[in-house]
Amino acid sequence: MVAESARKFEALEAQAQRLMSVFTKAGYEAVAPAIIQPADVFLDVVGERLRARTYVFTDPDGSELCLRPDLTVPTCRLHLERHPEADVEARYCYNGPAFRFQPGGVTAAHPREFRQAGIEYFGSSSREEAESEAVRLTLEAVRAAGLESFGLRIGDLGLFQALLDAIDMPDRWRARLRHQFWRPDAFHEELARLTRDPADVLHDLPADLMSRMDPANLARSESAVAAYLDEQGLELIGARSVREVTQGLLSAAADAAAEPLSSEAADLIDAYTKVKAPARAAGARLEDLMNERGVAIEAALEAYQKRLQLLIDSGIDPALIEFSAEFGRNLEYYTGFVFEIVVPELGTGSPVAGGGRYDGLLKAVGAREAVPAVGSAIHTERLLSAIDGGEA
Amino acid sequence: MSGSLVFAVPSKGRLMEQTAEALGRAGLVLRKTGSDRGYRGEVEGLEGVEVAFVSASEIAHYLKSGQAHLGITGEDLIREYIIDADKRVELLHPLGFGRADVVVAVPACWIDIRKMAHLQAMAPAFRRTHERRLRVATKYTNLTRRFFQSKGVSDYRIVESLGATEGTPASGAADIIVDITTTGATLKANGLKVLDDGVILRSQANLVASRVADWSDTARAARHQIVARLKG
Repeated sequence: MVAESARKFEALEAQAQRLMSVFTKAGYEAVAPAIIQPADVFLDVVGERLRARTYVFTDPDGSELCLRPDLTVPTCRLHLERHPEADVEARYCYNGPAFRFQPGGVTAAHPREFRQAGIEYFGSSSREEAESEAVRLTLEAVRAAGLESFGLRIGDLGLFQALLDAIDMPDRWRARLRHQFWRPDAFHEELARLTRDPADVLHDLPADLMSRMDPANLARSESAVAAYLDEQGLELIGARSVREVTQGLLSAAADAAAEPLSSEAADLIDAYTKVKAPARAAGARLEDLMNERGVAIEAALEAYQKRLQLLIDSGIDPALIEFSAEFGRNLEYYTGFVFEIVVPELGTGSPVAGGGRYDGLLKAVGAREAVPAVGSAIHTERLLSAIDGGEA
Repeated sequence: MSGSLVFAVPSKGRLMEQTAEALGRAGLVLRKTGSDRGYRGEVEGLEGVEVAFVSASEIAHYLKSGQAHLGITGEDLIREYIIDADKRVELLHPLGFGRADVVVAVPACWIDIRKMAHLQAMAPAFRRTHERRLRVATKYTNLTRRFFQSKGVSDYRIVESLGATEGTPASGAADIIVDITTTGATLKANGLKVLDDGVILRSQANLVASRVADWSDTARAARHQIVARLKG
């Protein structure tokens, strides 16, 4: 890691002030959540993927701690400390360091220590308004810092979810497709499997046991499984009960009994994931696609159009906005609308800012119910280098 | 000793014995030298080679940092401890001993789980019922993450385990494990089974060269000698 020059420090400080002043003027309260976070809560929420990039350590007292890999989860925790019921609408902004191990090596665009400036907006029931507010403020901030040319990439997991809901299939398959959404190759493999052999598990399962199971009668099936384990001399170890194993077997049996996903449905999902176009054209394309196939996802399409209109009304040039159905951002806590600000100097692999909706996160860190939440974070070193013309 | 080739070999256990045997068969006889409490040595009749006796996992670090030019250690340790292994080291020759498979094993009573994909399918229900993610005990955290990611399994937490990993599902410290096995007998005795597609790596001892060490002409020449004799 290159030593930070005094000039860069001052430039980053001055830039941070400009960014924060946009946020605070818009009514966002400046907060400074803890840099050192309890590893357990954090890692349970972000998953192993980000954990592999998180600096985790044990303090002399034996507590497992980590250096925060982003400020979103710490801000959620701060909000819950103040409002354990998470029943208050709140807008926060921050500027501070975050830390990530860089498996590809440390570079100027991928430092292991960087500063994020960002906003989080909790508890707003006006979904598209809150989303467009996050985009508008983020753009206003990077412009105030001096960024002139950039592109805005948007994606919408809400549309994808609505599409899956509108197609007839068991809920488990929806969960499988949703899960693989982040990995395009695995996703298409899963899609192909559902049209071919949705239960590639069953022929591995003991036929004599399966014939003794009764999907309509969990207790009876459970006894059959217990008897089978006994016969086979398989001791029940670990956290899962006989009932859980039974439910697993019944799910597999249900998959086997279900009609495979129709090739029309798979084609539609595939066609959807390929939609990538300027936001207005994409909206029209999505509507055509759904009309052609007779699939009704009006509410999600309306939300898309409403959000787009709000963005345009706030002065964003629609030609700069590109929609990509496959774009989901690679942090798995996002649940709906997502966006990134990209500049040609750094490319799409190194966005200068990004954010979106993550309605499940507050619940994951301790709130009783899911809470609407939208936010965004600016990678301030990248922003500075983009403004300086790609110089690190 | 500047310019010499540093050759790191295992300092203890079965791996040390097998290494000495394999090298001996190839006409490379190791001899400890000096007063350095037996951690240094030479290869009889071979100039320009300095032997370092270190633990098998330490050998991976020596090769990664270029402290050693050549080393003999398990591929599992190379892949676990060197994240960009293909950039930093080169596996020159498998040696046919120290064989062990790194595998994903789950309780044998989980008759509904046979493949990695089933783990992912089961994970949401598990999380709902137990209010936590599935826990995976292992000392191979990097291998585990990479493999689980390649299989699209993400709903899990690693619990680091430095010994008796195979006992963690029964004790409740973890739900499943990633560990090495040779015959599978220990896994079976602990009520575990290997998933059908759960073999992460078929490992064995390898002659490994560091790509980042300082290769002098002397070191290069010594390397050719050692490789030629071992490949026979």
